[in-house]
Amino acid sequence: MFIMANAKNFESYQLSQIRDKLIAADESKWPMVQMVQLKDPSTSLIISIFVGHFGIDRFIIGDVGIGVGKLLTCGGFGIWTIIDWFMIQGATREKNMEKMQQIL
Amino acid sequence: MIRNNLYLLLSGACLLGYSWIALNYLDPAFSDNKYFNGCLIKAITGIPCPSCGTTRSVLALSRGEILNSVMLNPFGLIVLLILLATPVWILVDLLRKKETLAQCYRYIETLLLCPGVAIPVIAIVLCNWIWNIYKGL
Repeated sequence: MFIMANAKNFESYQLSQIRDKLIAADESKWPMVQMVQLKDPSTSLIISIFVGHFGIDRFIIGDVGIGVGKLLTCGGFGIWTIIDWFMIQGATREKNMEKMQQIL
Repeated sequence: MIRNNLYLLLSGACLLGYSWIALNYLDPAFSDNKYFNGCLIKAITGIPCPSCGTTRSVLALSRGEILNSVMLNPFGLIVLLILLATPVWILVDLLRKKETLAQCYRYIETLLLCPGVAIPVIAIVLCNWIWNIYKGL
């Protein structure tokens, strides 16, 4: 169920790993798994396109350091902003995976 | 983020920052051209972004004009501090085989995620932005 509902929030190669860990995990972990706040890659892409210049996309997914870097340098002279339009979805999925690994 | 990745990213960013400042130092009119002035928002809309004027501010600081640089953009002070401290800190960390910079980075990240710190910081950035537009940088 969890995988069906959240497949879009992870990279495809991570799904089997998550499935194995979910099966191996005991029942007490289930409330925590349901509580974890996963970020939607599409949302972060929209944020990145509109306000990525100020690093807000990076703040949202929890990469505060990089966000501050983007904010202080006019979005990495505008170049980083454009690179992040393509990178942000992958970065969001990686962050989601990190959150899952902390729990499982 | 893994320590080595972080240090690589930070040293790359510092290198780019120093080269950008060196380019502007050697040719003060470098970022005055209408094709590329370092800021996408200003190039497209003509309105300065919150960190426009940072280069000029850092250059003013390098000439010792502290008041001038703060009037241009106070972010210049923060950027110069980061630019000066990071390479030294990375070198010291690598020599001593410790990761104090990575720990500090993580600490600042968690600190900035607390609402009590985040809201004032956002307010400061917004005020600076309004000031930048008012000054017409």
